[in-house]
Amino acid sequence: MTISLLAYLLIPLFSAVLIQFVSRNKENLADIIGNITLFAGLLNISYLIFNPVNFKLSFSNIAQDGFTLLMIFMIYLVAFSVSLFSTGFLTKEKNRHHFHSLILVSVSAMCGIVTAGDFFTLYIFVEALAVASFALIAFDDNEKGIEAAIKYFLLTFPASIFILLGMAILLFTTSTFNFAGLQNIVAGGYLSSPIMSGVILILLGFLIKSGVFPFHTWVLDAYQGAYSPVSAFLAGTITKIAGVYAVIKIAMIFKFFDLKLYKISETLMFIGAASILFGAIAAMRQKDFKRMLAYSSISQIGYIIIACGLATPLAILGAIFHMFNHAAFKTVLFLNGASLEKSLNTTNMEKMGGLEHSMPWTSWSSVIALMSTAGIPPLSGFWSKLLIIVALWEGGAKGYSVTAIGAGIITLAYFMVMQRKVFFGKITDAAKKAEEMPALMLAPVMILCAVIIMSGILFPYCYNYLIETITRTIL
Amino acid sequence: MTQVCLLKTAVFLPLLGALLIPFISKISVQTRNLFALTLGILTFTASLMLMPHVLGGMTITYNIPFPLGFNFTLTADMLSVFMALISSFVSSIILFYSIGYMAHYENQTEYYAMVVLFLGSMMGIVYSTNLIWMYVFWEITAVCSWRLVGFFRAENDILKANKTILVTVFGALCMLLGFVMIYSGKGTLDLSILRGETISLLAAFLILAGILAKSSTLPFSTWLPDAGVAPSTVTALLHAAVLVKIGVYAYARIFGTSVTVEPVFAQTVLIIAGLSAIISAGAALVETNIKRLIAYSTISQLGFIFLGLASGNNVAFIGALIYILTHSVAKGGLFLIAGILEQKTHPKDITKRGGLLKTMPITAISFILCALSIMAIPPLGGFFGKFLVFAGAIQNGNPWIIAMFMFAAILTVLYLLRLFYLVFLGEAKEHPPKEGSPTMLISVAMLALISLLLGALIYYPMFYTEALSLKLGVFLQ
Repeated sequence: MTISLLAYLLIPLFSAVLIQFVSRNKENLADIIGNITLFAGLLNISYLIFNPVNFKLSFSNIAQDGFTLLMIFMIYLVAFSVSLFSTGFLTKEKNRHHFHSLILVSVSAMCGIVTAGDFFTLYIFVEALAVASFALIAFDDNEKGIEAAIKYFLLTFPASIFILLGMAILLFTTSTFNFAGLQNIVAGGYLSSPIMSGVILILLGFLIKSGVFPFHTWVLDAYQGAYSPVSAFLAGTITKIAGVYAVIKIAMIFKFFDLKLYKISETLMFIGAASILFGAIAAMRQKDFKRMLAYSSISQIGYIIIACGLATPLAILGAIFHMFNHAAFKTVLFLNGASLEKSLNTTNMEKMGGLEHSMPWTSWSSVIALMSTAGIPPLSGFWSKLLIIVALWEGGAKGYSVTAIGAGIITLAYFMVMQRKVFFGKITDAAKKAEEMPALMLAPVMILCAVIIMSGILFPYCYNYLIETITRTIL
Repeated sequence: MTQVCLLKTAVFLPLLGALLIPFISKISVQTRNLFALTLGILTFTASLMLMPHVLGGMTITYNIPFPLGFNFTLTADMLSVFMALISSFVSSIILFYSIGYMAHYENQTEYYAMVVLFLGSMMGIVYSTNLIWMYVFWEITAVCSWRLVGFFRAENDILKANKTILVTVFGALCMLLGFVMIYSGKGTLDLSILRGETISLLAAFLILAGILAKSSTLPFSTWLPDAGVAPSTVTALLHAAVLVKIGVYAYARIFGTSVTVEPVFAQTVLIIAGLSAIISAGAALVETNIKRLIAYSTISQLGFIFLGLASGNNVAFIGALIYILTHSVAKGGLFLIAGILEQKTHPKDITKRGGLLKTMPITAISFILCALSIMAIPPLGGFFGKFLVFAGAIQNGNPWIIAMFMFAAILTVLYLLRLFYLVFLGEAKEHPPKEGSPTMLISVAMLALISLLLGALIYYPMFYTEALSLKLGVFLQ
């Protein structure tokens, strides 16, 4: 565990406890403490990453692992956006202090995951996160929320067993969980098939947690049934950190393609490609806004998994950058979905239409986010997909490269269908009465949109950051 | 201003100005319209001021380094300035015309912002020498055309808008794959480094798919007639100034002046272009909706431009460039006239019109001048373009292909005369309408006059394009 980053883990945890005591009867205090904690953390980490001095020194002043820092930034960014949005979204009768506490606890757990230096610590925090997110999903205590929470729990439960088993095997064969230790073993070329079977079990566990194609069923109900701001939080960071992060980490250590572990590499790439296509095609047929976004998430995670299967340095950079971009644009879309739900009382797209007039900010920010999802330049999603596609092509996985490019048109197609139904097109009765959200709830969406646009235009900065800090320390 | 500064102005001014339009519209409607028009004219002026510099054979370059060799490089040379001038000029006229034409529609702010953004990204495509940035701007134009075609928000309009973006983006993704192939083979996407290199046939065909989708040539041609649901100014913009010209420009830039491919590629392009020219001319002959008719005509004329570009000799290449110029002016004029007709007489069906010559003389004369230019009747500008394209193509062409294009050229005369006859001559079939508003008439009269003048002053563009093809063309005979 990286000690210097411990504050990002402990401070939210402290605030979470504090809220329980201080704001039991003063609900506004919970809002203030929650938001301020996250905002302070966000400012702090932004200063670390975006200090202009970094660029001059070509990031040699950043001692920590750049991947971890970027993930912490992502966690705080999404958590702050969701928390600020929820301040306006939560109705009077909800228990604000519980909600904010849970958000802070999950932020703390996620920071634990990304700062972990070995599989055991990582696993502990993944489980802690699972408990917190279980409670968050069920926060809206209606039938759907509870059902979603139980599904989430039961369907991701096997993942924990696989991970535990894998770790046990790893402990027997290598007597270490440590990432650095494993890296030495890989470098020394001592990989035996028992070690690999352990790794495969762990990998399988985390693939289930990331919700890629054959293991996707829990994603749909969890995202659709969860309390709306929680869906954004789930899709934006929780599943990414609890599942995809570990997959990327494993791919970084056991470079499957270089080590001639072609079968694992092939399987991962196949799962990735299948996810991309399945998610995108299924999304075209959805009528529910949140369910469509859930399918879209499955599809986008496919890009990350495909890159992990190849695991060349460029592919890993593309995967990390795409994960960050995905957090930004998917959070925007889910938060906008929550706004639509609040003003129209439905997430059924058939009942929406022509919202560009009554909700212009929500509409246009959704357009930006979806363009980034579909990989329309110069937005950030384009660059990360381009990195992955170029890496796949140069790595010789040409068929997968073509799939990754070709899926772009399907992605665009389902978003076009969505736009036609929701934002443009004929105004329905429900849409006439819709009102734009207050500035407090639009602010986080606008911040995230700015992140999408800026990380696209400032691609050289992002790329240099990734290559200098990550290739130096890990690859 | 320094030359680099002019180059930056030509690209960044419309791009950034477009983003300001929503805010300026808060001041007043007139300010917004004037601002948009000023942006168009300034873009044109910047390119115009670059012309004397590049005429001396100089190239002006501006570079922002990007990782992985994706440098953002703008280069002004004779070809890019030529194309930029045509696009920004026709766009400025369309913006001027829009002030009168668009006055009573909703969503005008979005309209002006998108038109200027379109112009800006067109400038980006034209001046970029790095293929990846060409692709970036290429996709921005797709987004702009999506919003503009879906300007009216009826169900049908939105479907057609979605079709437009999906077809063009599909082509663009094929093109991206082609670029990735070039990138992994040659290690760069910079056209100035790639100059003279030979690229693989597969990559060339993938790029061609992108070009054909954008230029609405067979087999991707169906979106262009459908895009006619948009306001006439938008269709004029798409047909004459920006969208379809992107494809032919990219062809001229990539295959005409940068890389070479095996000869079988050019042969295939000629066959596709020939088929496209004939089939769409046939469709135009039986079409009764005026905007769809002119759209088919555009598809057909683009075939001739490809004929010139792909024939592989100097005369045809010069002809194609002249053709781009004269076609832009004349086709812009035709669509703006269709806009006047649409506003003043309601039926879109041309068989239900007639006798408009008496009540709308200026419109009618402008129409016939533009139409004659497209038919290539001397002494109008269009004649020289088509003549040179044929003269060049005959030198080393397949007689069957030439025959195909000859037939398409005859059909062009037929369908345009039929259109003129049905709309302007004969008996009036409805209440005779009056002329359009002054700004609209000035715009169309100007375009018609330029079509005429281009014939008289053809020496200047000829001189320019000849110098261009001698200096930049690769492997032209």
